[in-house]
Amino acid sequence: MIPRYQRILFWSLALAILLMAIFLLHGCQQAREKLNRLQNQTPLAAPAETAPETFHLAMASDADNSIAMVDRQLALATEPTARMRALLAQLIAEYSYKNSAHPLASGPAIDDVFLLDLPLKPATSTNPSNPAGTPPGESAFASGAPHSPGGQLAVINLSAAFADHHPSGIEAETLTINSMVGTLFANFPRIEQVRFVVNGQPRDTLAGHADLTRTYQAVNTTTGGAQ
Amino acid sequence: MTLTRTYAAVLLVALASAAAAAFSTRAQSPISPQIPQQPTPPPAQVPQPAVRPAPPQSARAVIFLDPAHGGPENGAALGNNLAEKDVTLAFAQRLRAALASANFTVITTRDNDLAAPLPTDQRAEVANHAHALACVVVHATASGAGVHLYTSSLPPAPLYETSGTDATTPFTPTPWEFAQAGFVDQSHKLSDVLKATLAKASLPVITGNAPLRPLDNLMCPAVAVEIAPNSASVSASDTAYQQQIVFAVATAMQLWRDQNTGGAH
Repeated sequence: MIPRYQRILFWSLALAILLMAIFLLHGCQQAREKLNRLQNQTPLAAPAETAPETFHLAMASDADNSIAMVDRQLALATEPTARMRALLAQLIAEYSYKNSAHPLASGPAIDDVFLLDLPLKPATSTNPSNPAGTPPGESAFASGAPHSPGGQLAVINLSAAFADHHPSGIEAETLTINSMVGTLFANFPRIEQVRFVVNGQPRDTLAGHADLTRTYQAVNTTTGGAQ
Repeated sequence: MTLTRTYAAVLLVALASAAAAAFSTRAQSPISPQIPQQPTPPPAQVPQPAVRPAPPQSARAVIFLDPAHGGPENGAALGNNLAEKDVTLAFAQRLRAALASANFTVITTRDNDLAAPLPTDQRAEVANHAHALACVVVHATASGAGVHLYTSSLPPAPLYETSGTDATTPFTPTPWEFAQAGFVDQSHKLSDVLKATLAKASLPVITGNAPLRPLDNLMCPAVAVEIAPNSASVSASDTAYQQQIVFAVATAMQLWRDQNTGGAH
């Protein structure tokens, strides 16, 4: 014969377990609903159909120190900086292919691309020796170089890994720089000047040779083009 | 700033001794041409503006050699634990000996490895003080083939050094970043001479322009010589290969000297 107090205790515990289970299920259901509500509130842009377009890539060749223009069909974003970044990433990616004429290591090369309208407005400076606020290393040529109304300066932020693993040599580095400048010139007519930074910081050379402190004029860099 | 000069006039008065009676007689008479003639000094020469003296033609021509990198700055890795700085130094030492035997005065930025890296600006300062007939910057690489000749990618500009040499031309300072601009045309000619002699030695040659320091800061005809492997089996450090290039470069320098001094050396 089970004592009465034990039966009361058993049913009390069973009731408590039932209540806790109901509370747990209710809490889970509330959490799920909250999550679903948050996901539903996330604004999602409708996917835009981008038709492939023809782009020109200035492809370099180490064998004869030449740069030739080739066409590629690519579907890129419409936003200019994203478009430039994707195009330059495609250019560098092609150099990492097997049997490339200008072999480079594979991996992400372009961190960001920024566009600035020309002429550059000098920043307000409190330094009496540098009243124009010109950044160190910025030459008079860079800030005073000729440009057209509406011209833009493209600042290319290379990844540190790309610069660190780039083949060292005048030819190899110059071809990489000219290839990128030539590609921007061929596809983005508003870009008139190009500057390079590495990991967001100015750097003297790409891999020990090609000067990265200067501002490059966006010109036709293909062999036989204006250098 | 425009310099102007003014010149003072000179009045010469010749005094001659005379007796009082004779002086009073002459003073009352009209001026006659019988006044005893005194030797007159030659007309005073108009001072000419100072002109920078040209270097004597008989002086030995100076060649500036810059073996790139050095010290902790190794440059490119050329394989087999060989650094670019060692290859450029070995080549520069061979070239220096060849040029010295051809009666050149050779100035180099380094004769051995350095304890600290030598900035490109300091290398350019050494070259610009030397007033060299030609400046050769030596590099080496593992990519490509043959010898690569590079000149500055700066656009040609008027020779800055000629400005300010007379009183009427305003002095224009040369921007450091574009020091080579006034010499780009000469550098192209020097590159052509080098290309011809290297091709004559059956060495593959590639020429081009490069954004390279200290090339842009040199005030002399300047070429960067980058030594790449001649073939899969002949690397940039190969002694015989380097000697071939040394002979061709030394020959080119003699031709360049003959072109610029008319063979007077």
